[in-house]
Amino acid sequence: MLHAYDQFCKMKNKNIILSFKGEITSEIISMVLDVAENKLDAANEKGIIKKKIFNILVECLQNLYHHTEKGLIKNENTKSSLILIWYENEYYNILTGNYIRNKNIPPIQKRLETINSLSKDELRDWYRKILNNSEISAKGGANLGMIDVARKSGEKIEYNFKKINSSVSFYEFKIKVKK
Amino acid sequence: MESLIIKKTKQTPEINFNAQSGVLEIKGRSIPENSFEFYTPVLSWIDQYIKKPNENTIIKVYLEYFNTSSSKFILEIFKKLQKIQNIDNKNILIEWYYDKNDEEMMETGKDYKDVTELPFEIIINE
Repeated sequence: MLHAYDQFCKMKNKNIILSFKGEITSEIISMVLDVAENKLDAANEKGIIKKKIFNILVECLQNLYHHTEKGLIKNENTKSSLILIWYENEYYNILTGNYIRNKNIPPIQKRLETINSLSKDELRDWYRKILNNSEISAKGGANLGMIDVARKSGEKIEYNFKKINSSVSFYEFKIKVKK
Repeated sequence: MESLIIKKTKQTPEINFNAQSGVLEIKGRSIPENSFEFYTPVLSWIDQYIKKPNENTIIKVYLEYFNTSSSKFILEIFKKLQKIQNIDNKNILIEWYYDKNDEEMMETGKDYKDVTELPFEIIINE
């Protein structure tokens, strides 16, 4: 089982900046942000790009932190999620994956469809409207996360709900940042 | 009234609210998973302060990053301070600082300027 070099080359050739699978805890969030920040610094990435990526990562990680559920599949830690960051063809890509109850899919899907259908100015207006009008929840989330991610990225969100069984799917979410 | 001073951490900003001078500063990063926990004492202090505010209150915001979960609380601070405007001879000003080249933070300043009804200046932090 000594495939270190193969694995190393694979990650190198795919320009993988960071890859993590597991439960997203507060400590893991800090660690992932540190690693991403250090690697972007080491690559001498521009401040504005670094900030965009950092901001998007914060929202994605905290979404996973707040919304993954345990006990969705027998004998599996369904709080375990995936986060992958890589660089490809002038774009930084952030991919996340987590289990989700099928019954929770429709509102998320609708929101993503709406976000993707809006222009930059429409997204800004929607963001301001929600910022100004929604109540603060105990979790603090104001349903602004995905809109903010889309605004920062300036690109369309790619997503998919991969069906696992009649009650659970795997939610795949990808956002890009142009270098 | 006592000032409110909270040291910055990797996830939460430095708070330096001076009741005597009326200068309220927020500096750094605000990316806690639980913004409610961090901002509750901050909002409580504001509730007390607006009962007997300084003649001139300036809130200076120097944020490097903040998450959407903090964004509502930052707006809530501004909304609470809005009440000062209705008191005779009391003034309130928001100063939103952004680093040169940080257009995003300037845009975010515009978002807040648009939704608050207070004198609001967006300033380059040289």
